Amino acid sequence: MSTIQVEVQDLSKSFFDQSRGEVNAVRNVDFECRSGEIFGLLGANGAGKTTTLRMISTVLQPSTGTARVLGHDVLREPVEVRRNLGFYSASTALYPRLTARETLTLFARVNKYPAERTKDRVEETIERFGLGDYAGARIEKLSTGMKQKVSIARTVVHDPPVLIFDEPTVGLDVLNALDLQKGIQELRDDGKTILFSTHIMSEAERLCDRIAIIDKGRIRACDGLEGLRAATSRHYLEDIFVHYVTGNDDTADEPK
Amino acid sequence: MSRRTVGALVANDLRQLARNPRLLIFAVALPLVLWPLMWFLTSLTGERRQERLESRTYLYAVADAAAAADGPTAADDPTAAEDSAAANGAAWLERALATVGEDAGAGYAAPEDGPAVRFERVPAPDDLAAALEAGELHVHVAWRSGPGNDRASPDPGEAAGATGDTGAAAGEPTDDDREAAAATGDEAAATEDPVPRAVLTYRADLDASNAAEGFLRRALQQTRVEVRDRRLVAAGFETDPADLLPVERIETASQEQTSGLLLGRILTAIIVLMMLTGGSIVATDALAGEKERGTLETLLTTAARRIEIVVAKNLSILSVALITSVLNIANIVLWMQFDVIPAPEGLKLVVPIGTGLLLVLLYAPAAVLLSSALLLVSGRSKTYKEAQLLFAPVMLGSLAIAAIPVLPGIELRSAIVLVPIANLGVAAREILTGAFDWPLLAAAWTVTAGAAALLALASVRALSAEKLITASDTDAADLAGGPALFPRRVARWFAVLWALLLVWQLNVGGIDSRLLIAINMSIFGAAAWLMIVRYRLPLRETLSLRAPPATAWLGVLIAAPAGLVLANGVVRLASLAMPIPEEWIEAMADAFGADLPLWQMLFFFAVLPGIFEEIAFRGVLLHGLRTRLRPVPLVLVAGIAFGFFHVDLFRIPPTALLGIFLVIAVLRSGSIYPAMAWHALHNALALGSARVEQIPLPEQPPWWHYALALAALLLAFRLMGRQAKAP
Repeated sequence: MSTIQVEVQDLSKSFFDQSRGEVNAVRNVDFECRSGEIFGLLGANGAGKTTTLRMISTVLQPSTGTARVLGHDVLREPVEVRRNLGFYSASTALYPRLTARETLTLFARVNKYPAERTKDRVEETIERFGLGDYAGARIEKLSTGMKQKVSIARTVVHDPPVLIFDEPTVGLDVLNALDLQKGIQELRDDGKTILFSTHIMSEAERLCDRIAIIDKGRIRACDGLEGLRAATSRHYLEDIFVHYVTGNDDTADEPK
Repeated sequence: MSRRTVGALVANDLRQLARNPRLLIFAVALPLVLWPLMWFLTSLTGERRQERLESRTYLYAVADAAAAADGPTAADDPTAAEDSAAANGAAWLERALATVGEDAGAGYAAPEDGPAVRFERVPAPDDLAAALEAGELHVHVAWRSGPGNDRASPDPGEAAGATGDTGAAAGEPTDDDREAAAATGDEAAATEDPVPRAVLTYRADLDASNAAEGFLRRALQQTRVEVRDRRLVAAGFETDPADLLPVERIETASQEQTSGLLLGRILTAIIVLMMLTGGSIVATDALAGEKERGTLETLLTTAARRIEIVVAKNLSILSVALITSVLNIANIVLWMQFDVIPAPEGLKLVVPIGTGLLLVLLYAPAAVLLSSALLLVSGRSKTYKEAQLLFAPVMLGSLAIAAIPVLPGIELRSAIVLVPIANLGVAAREILTGAFDWPLLAAAWTVTAGAAALLALASVRALSAEKLITASDTDAADLAGGPALFPRRVARWFAVLWALLLVWQLNVGGIDSRLLIAINMSIFGAAAWLMIVRYRLPLRETLSLRAPPATAWLGVLIAAPAGLVLANGVVRLASLAMPIPEEWIEAMADAFGADLPLWQMLFFFAVLPGIFEEIAFRGVLLHGLRTRLRPVPLVLVAGIAFGFFHVDLFRIPPTALLGIFLVIAVLRSGSIYPAMAWHALHNALALGSARVEQIPLPEQPPWWHYALALAALLLAFRLMGRQAKAP
């Protein structure tokens, strides 16, 4: 029995850019994510993936429309939204001078995880992600793969029901990326709701239960892989993506 | 607000700092060593210098009478008069040298029984300048006849062959001195003898020579006063002049009060300095550094409230500032205890506990205000480097405000109560001297606390200002506002500039017109520079720094006189609506430095405006408006805006017209240079015509003058245009 955890309604974001003038980064986006699924946002660079996810995580404010996480509105209850959210992206760095254990403790506290259970939760997380051997070493001393793990541990240490992974595999080598994907699947199997963005087709194909193809700020299609295949009568996600992004009537209103 | 969250964030900041040994060494440890060292060295060298000056033997020479005979003041029988003066002078000098060092005067208190200043005579050198230069001689005395002022006057005869930095001086003239000059010579000398006049030649840039002159001059002046006094008594003046009006001083302020005043004056500046230097260690890193490293975004996606983050960062800044301040003060006090650093004299400070607590309470909002300002700078900066760059103006501004309590006569019961930080500084000064003005103390506290709260809220907003959030993927131009933002801001900038100039011009009076124009031009130049830097405008494009077509120069030669005729026409037209008063015309002539040499007039009123006003108006302003307006409105707006900057009502119409012409010149030629030349030439011609006719308005010329000028102008614009390439 899955429940709707994240609801996005008519979400738009426009901002003023120096070189391009008024930019509509996200236009009237609608979708919802359920518990226990990995929902993928698939789009090219600049399609509006990060902007959408940042609006859901309350870092950016929507121009119009709204989003709710566990029923909490991003505009009215941003703190509650973030409390139920773990946000991970290639640009969310860790404090290099803290150890892994200190990092987890800090973020458990800052995310208002119950004080009396913080210590146990931190140890539990260290255990779960296999950080035991280097939990006492400073982050700056760790390898990229280890940092990766600490970073994911940081994202889930306060046990949020919803996790956002914004292009998490950017800059990782194949093995680290696969490791990360495995980690994400495990989290899904734990019943977390996962919002995942990528521009890599194979990643979306492998991981996502449902995929939203986003282009120029609009969602062009949103379905499971099978549904997309049936709708476009194409097999590979790459072809499906190209079909939606280029050869479709949806783009008729775009300036060429 | 959750104390747990804030606490965790503060602890994290402090932990980061504690684990950054390089930063700790350079920002905390090194200053602890360097400050006392610098202080120690300064006081050491000061003492040494004084000791050395007081204990040495100075070499002096006296010009012999024959050499002095070619002096400029020689009368009918020059040689005889000068001989007599020299003889008289020798007596004076002997007497003066006997008293040297007894009352050495300010700065050179003679030691009780230490080494004293001695003077030794050396033969007069052939080449005085060379001898002074080589140190073979420190001061040269020549005697002349005839009265003169006790005034420093370079004497070409005396300093023949000397370099320009050789000067002769003999103190400032006072009434006493003039009397003394009238009462001539030694007591022994007959009254009809010529007045001897001492001419001291020395080098102000050489320590020994400078000191020798000082000692000798003061000795001569001292001797003169004594001789005069004695003579007054001898002449029947009933009492000894020294008994005439003895003045005694009784000071009722306690030592605590004077010390309190001293401390109160500098306390605010010290606290501001320490807050800023200590606080900046954390502040630069607090938001800008986190932004740069990407940890800020991590933090912003947590459940921490923005206000919690800002409060935590403020607490981190405050605690580090407090710790470093305590360390620094303890450090200095420690060295003073060991007498390595001299303690300030007469400083006896007993601050009662209650007053101390009151001061702490009083300065608390100032500290919060400063840390909020630092945080805001950090929050508005994209990178660590940018935060450091912005830190300097915050520091200078705060110190300027903190220096206000030093100004004498400022009371808390005045408008100063409305100036944050400065009001607390004045309040602290009053408290330390024992005055407690409770309602105003409360008001001052509230004002500064309110300002602190506003700044803290601004930092909260800076965290929500989405373009500032992430360093990773937003354009750097978003933050500082790149070139594309400038057209939206240019009007605001010039409005502020206009208000600034208006206030400044209205409040300045009786200032030298050259200085005034230099300051105005600096303001234009600085504003243009600021905008260019702030919006990273491309210099060449913004200022149209391109070579104009060659014919443009010919165009300028034609345009300048034609433009002037038309501008005068506009003045005439405008005067129909609002007659120009005569006084105004006279005032204008004064303002434009009618009495200056021609080259200065041209430089200050033609060349400088030609450069700086063009950069500001036809460069930056035009560039900013260009993308926003179509050609005709562009020319009108940019031109008329220029007119309005000539605050004077009667000058607005002609300068606006000139502005319009110059905008056209830039747009036509694609270059600012013809406009610069035209502007300078226009001003020069206007000044010239005013100078020739003594009034800026020539007689009413016939209408065809205007028609001719207009035609010439159109031709000139044509010449300025970029020619289409020949097919």
